[in-house]
Amino acid sequence: MAKEKKARRPVDPNSAKYKLGKIVEDHYRELQEAKDRGEKIGWCASNFPQEIFQTLGLKVGYPENQAAAIAARGAGEKLCVHAEDSGYSNDICAYARVNLAYMDLKDVPEQNMPQPDFLLCCNNICNCMIKWYENISKELDIPLILIDIPFNPDYEVSDEQVAYVKAQFLAAIKQLEEITGKKWDDEKFKEVMEISNRTSRAWLEATAYTKYHPSPLNGFDLLNHMAVAVCARGTVEAAEAFETLLEEYKQSVQDGTSTFRGEEKYRIMFEGIACWPHLRATATGLKSRGINMVATIYADAFGFIYDDFDGLIRAYCKVPNSINLEKARDMRIDIAKRTDTEGLLVHTNRSCKLWSGFMYEMSRQIGEACDIPVTSFDGDQADPRNFSEAQYETRVEGLTEIMEMRKEAK
Amino acid sequence: MKSLEQIFEQFHSIATNPKDAFNRYLEEGEKVVGCVPVYTPKEIVHAMGLVPFGAWGADLELAEAKEYFPAFICSIVQSVLELGIRGEYEGMSALIVPSLCDSLKCLGQNWKYAVKDIPFIPMTYPQNRKADFGIDFTVAGYQRVIADLQEATGATFEPEKLKESIKAYNKQNALMREVDALMAQKGVMPTQRSDVYKSAQFMKVEEHSQWLQELIEVLKKQEDAQHDGKKVVTAGILADSSGLLKIFENNQIQVVADDVAAESRQYRIDAPTTDDPLRDLAVKFAEMDHCCVLYDKDKKRADLIVDMVKEKEADGVVVVLTKFCDPDEFDYVMIKRACESADIPHALIEVDRQMKEFQQAQTIMEAFAEML
Ligand code: SF4
Ligand code: SF4
Repeated sequence: MAKEKKARRPVDPNSAKYKLGKIVEDHYRELQEAKDRGEKIGWCASNFPQEIFQTLGLKVGYPENQAAAIAARGAGEKLCVHAEDSGYSNDICAYARVNLAYMDLKDVPEQNMPQPDFLLCCNNICNCMIKWYENISKELDIPLILIDIPFNPDYEVSDEQVAYVKAQFLAAIKQLEEITGKKWDDEKFKEVMEISNRTSRAWLEATAYTKYHPSPLNGFDLLNHMAVAVCARGTVEAAEAFETLLEEYKQSVQDGTSTFRGEEKYRIMFEGIACWPHLRATATGLKSRGINMVATIYADAFGFIYDDFDGLIRAYCKVPNSINLEKARDMRIDIAKRTDTEGLLVHTNRSCKLWSGFMYEMSRQIGEACDIPVTSFDGDQADPRNFSEAQYETRVEGLTEIMEMRKEAK
Repeated sequence: MKSLEQIFEQFHSIATNPKDAFNRYLEEGEKVVGCVPVYTPKEIVHAMGLVPFGAWGADLELAEAKEYFPAFICSIVQSVLELGIRGEYEGMSALIVPSLCDSLKCLGQNWKYAVKDIPFIPMTYPQNRKADFGIDFTVAGYQRVIADLQEATGATFEPEKLKESIKAYNKQNALMREVDALMAQKGVMPTQRSDVYKSAQFMKVEEHSQWLQELIEVLKKQEDAQHDGKKVVTAGILADSSGLLKIFENNQIQVVADDVAAESRQYRIDAPTTDDPLRDLAVKFAEMDHCCVLYDKDKKRADLIVDMVKEKEADGVVVVLTKFCDPDEFDYVMIKRACESADIPHALIEVDRQMKEFQQAQTIMEAFAEML
């Protein structure tokens, strides 16, 4: 690690990389400062409508982001084991295990985050989230606000669902006003919505650059930038950073350069959350074969574009894990076609039942519709014990061979 | 009058041969609707003149379901799909799947492609179910189920009929609660107790209630149990595996109460009876609590289990955890803590529907019985 650091050149402060990194750093620092000032801070689910607390001017931390950072820095197993020792099954989502362990340990040098005074939960990505936040709420004896966005079995979002979620949205504002003493301001809300849209547009445009041949970016970069899309969507800094990123990609396309090192021989879609504890192994397994990830649902997942309050509600009802197989499939087919994807690599994520629970059928359908080979490997987003490099290598090799054969046949 | 043995034998034969019951309904020209747990609105199915039939999976090896589910999804959901693919539900008019946990959400999505000839009907429940907006959303979910059932079966819905169905189910609830208390008092064995609950999934409500009444009459005449073994409260999703129940019996352990989704949890809450039966049913759901798939930030379920132990003067708690059931895995920690602070001994047994070897459970229960 240390050796590698020495070799790195300082990052240009005008670059997107610098700006995005700074946002994440500032995020944790400002959260700690708010806590130190005696402000009430929250822990928040990644897809909770951030417009609510941005408008109220509240600071929150994201356990999922923190868990990913902890896992990427090598402490995933330690924390998972700690949670298991207190009774949590090792079958439970590793983000939850890492976070529940952190709640207990309170100091983990890989990534610290101040303890919460309230909790904001939204289950549009999974119901596991509800159970996890319930347990924190009970253990720390702090208020929990749940915005329940049920899994939608239909293609379109129904008016009944919009009405239900909207009512909860308003109830959540009231509860938060009571908990924190802050006041809601409609003008501020409008402003936050505008900034969020601006950020989302820049993010969507930037991520769309993977459609170029070669793609100006190594798709794995997006996995890192996601943290900003999650934790800072409603801030001007995030909007600007993604706009810078967009400019850089534009320039790269003109110059024919890319952050993907080496020749881009194959273009694939990577399905699922990254294997944070084995990021290097998973990335190298692709890079060494000239495989670039040009398609991921994350690109579209964090693009919350809407015109008004109803639109905002509908956007939160359409996040990837809350939609039915057909809609989830079509979104991916669309991305795969836009980016000339040649293969699909699916991370069967031991942590995420919802993400993996109908992925076999869905990826079969995507493979057929796009006429591309599909391969999966077993892994986990934060528990390093659920991944085998040997299996990964074999599967990726298999996928490469098929892609190669198809190229030759053309 | 039937003897106690005869009555229990009746329950046992249904509980162990659901397929026979299913075929009998089809032969009688009934339309049968599969009801995947939990809180499936059986009252609505019943009111439309259809037979609600519990679909909690079965103890069998998984083969076909593996094409759809990875291994880390619970065996209830997996085996429901397996039965569907194998054609065991052939003749079923539709399958209703509520979306209360992540695995159930996936079941419906897979079902559409794996079992194309039996329509999947989703029931989307709210978690913020107690406020008016939550009740409205539940009603909307029920309306959708009604429309889908109409389409799948041609049956029609009338509110007046739903009122009658609600009464029939409320009556069964009351009888179940009475039987439950009596079975504890009279020392009924775990297998027999389980059969009473399990058979309810596969029988028409009126018929089951009739049997319950017979059971109550006979039980009342029995001497109270002079039980020299141990008494426990069970908690979990399912606790009906015969291998497991035998272990309880071999170790002289009686189940005196449960917080099991497939058992008494279903019968705790009655629907109100007003002029708006659909809303009554939604109110019933709103009042449901103490359950791992229903939002509860205070974790009242753990307290309920402690209260049950005290009330029934039980010696301890056995958590029967269905492998890969994450809602229950989260609750387990809270139950464990609540038991520890109330000084109640507890044991954890992991089960799944493919389990053939009960050695580990046997060892745990032996040690537990000795400790009590
Ligand atoms: S990984 Fe899956 S189960 Fe875990 S928090 Fe995310 S969506 Fe939920
Ligand atoms: S056993 Fe648990 S995971 Fe399985 S369907 Fe029931 S609640 Fe869901």
